[in-house]
Amino acid sequence: MPSTQKPPLAGAALDPTAVRPPIDDAAVQRVAPSELRAVLEERRHEGYTMLLDLGAVDYLRRAPRFDVVYHLLKVQPVAASVSEVGQPARLRILCGVDENEHLPTCMDLWKSADWAEREVYDLFGIVFDGHADLRRIQMPVDWEGHPLRKDYPMRGPARERSPRPAFAGKSNVVAGTPPVGRTLEALQEEVKRAREQ
Amino acid sequence: MTFSSVLPAPDVVSQSGNTMVLSMGPQHPSTHGVLQLVLEIESENVVKVDPEIGYLHTGIEKSCEGLFWTQAQTLVERMDYLAPSSNALCYALVVEKLLGITDRIPERAQIIRVLQMELTRIASHCVWLGTHGIDLGAISVFFYCFDLRENILDLQEAAGGARMHPNYIRVGGLNGDLPDGYLAKLDALIEKFPGRMRELRGLLQANPIFQDRTIDVGILSPEEALAWSVTGPALRASGIAYDVRKAFPYSGYETYDFDVPTRIEGDAYARFLVRLDEMDQAMRIIEQCRKRLDAPGPVVIDDPKVALPPKETIALSMEALIHHFKLISEGFRVPPGDVYQAVEGPRGELGYYIVSDGENRPYRVRTRPPSLYNLQALKGIGPGNLIADLVVMIGSLDPVFGEVDR
Repeated sequence: MPSTQKPPLAGAALDPTAVRPPIDDAAVQRVAPSELRAVLEERRHEGYTMLLDLGAVDYLRRAPRFDVVYHLLKVQPVAASVSEVGQPARLRILCGVDENEHLPTCMDLWKSADWAEREVYDLFGIVFDGHADLRRIQMPVDWEGHPLRKDYPMRGPARERSPRPAFAGKSNVVAGTPPVGRTLEALQEEVKRAREQ
Repeated sequence: MTFSSVLPAPDVVSQSGNTMVLSMGPQHPSTHGVLQLVLEIESENVVKVDPEIGYLHTGIEKSCEGLFWTQAQTLVERMDYLAPSSNALCYALVVEKLLGITDRIPERAQIIRVLQMELTRIASHCVWLGTHGIDLGAISVFFYCFDLRENILDLQEAAGGARMHPNYIRVGGLNGDLPDGYLAKLDALIEKFPGRMRELRGLLQANPIFQDRTIDVGILSPEEALAWSVTGPALRASGIAYDVRKAFPYSGYETYDFDVPTRIEGDAYARFLVRLDEMDQAMRIIEQCRKRLDAPGPVVIDDPKVALPPKETIALSMEALIHHFKLISEGFRVPPGDVYQAVEGPRGELGYYIVSDGENRPYRVRTRPPSLYNLQALKGIGPGNLIADLVVMIGSLDPVFGEVDR
């Protein structure tokens, strides 16, 4: 029985995409940030009409630190049955980008890049120049930090519990103490009386 | 770094002219969850739609990075809670590809996986149809749909042990074989289904009120649908027969005989018809699965480094006990690499891009949620319509917010 449990390769965490086993899931292309825009435009005109997904990966100890990953799909933009659609092709474009580096937006090539780029910005802090509306999408607008970065902790710091609200307008109630007449002593007294009867 | 250091807050609220800004949701019942729409309206007409999402953000992608490969599997099922098996299957397929065991998954496991996928598709479309009907005032459809869905959830419970999140599909195969009496229940469902579909169609398809509300509402042209990355029934209602099951077959889908229903109108009514046809096709696949299920066989890969050993061997075999202990206490390691794999979920192309760095936990789990992209198309098709039509459009795009916000 061949074992699938192999020890991790040394330094694999730095760049798993480089030691990837030959898996036929998509064509892979790696580009530099400076030529990203030109490559995307070229692919768009080649017929990659759909931006399937746009995500990012944080390789904390690698330089450049992040990979922004574009998944493209080649489909004809006309109504077509299964036989006419033919064989759509997938393409994965990886673009290494450093912490303070910006990337050009591709919102004008694929409209769906709008939310995808906002999400990458929100969760990784990668800025897309030229995006019309780059603000947080999943996290609240006043959130600090970018949660999917590897140096962002899995759990938040322990916080003090907020104080319990007082019962406004009820003079017989003080927050934290039971109302008069329902104290433990009063209850025991009540039980005692009931037993004696 | 806060957002203000990059760009100023965008001016969604434009008070020029006679427009006003209306916030719809996140508690609005027709938003199918926690969707807020910031609308700019001119009397009843929508000028601009800005969906605000993130109210259900639970950080599933981040949480997966801290869990074993097998533990993360239970978490990804929670994303699309109406079709848990599609998430589970896609995740399992990715891990199997990284492990290099894709072609060693037993035949019977593949059949049952396809069966679960199609059952969950029907169940998910039942919820969509019922809630879509309620949005438009057709209350009774809901009860018929949920009755059918209940039968499917019974089957899920029998197979996996839980109604909503069965966690039945595992890396390497399945949690266990189908229980006794399962096939009889499945036969009963197969028998009941055509009649129930006739009733559902009879309630809505020729209903003049339903047609008035949905025909020519929210039209997506093929170019627009692709530009917004719309997939699944919504894309096929715009005429493009892109279906992952046909384009990039997995789990043996290429051996099943089924059609990909398409329409060319691209409106809400076309999306309704495509989903109904899809339910019929799903049942066609289920019937083919049923025929293949008579032959017994293993349902999990015979590799103790990946799959748990059978329970009865643990008391007898030292090796089985050790494997069980190791798998539970430290999981299995996955060779480094990255893989993108997609399945055709009920809402469209559900993809996972997973990076492994050779450890017993995933390094990064990126989901391609079909609902997110389908919902985004609302920005394109919403303006120029009445507010009441937005409700129809949201319903016809069928977003699930566990998946949109993750």
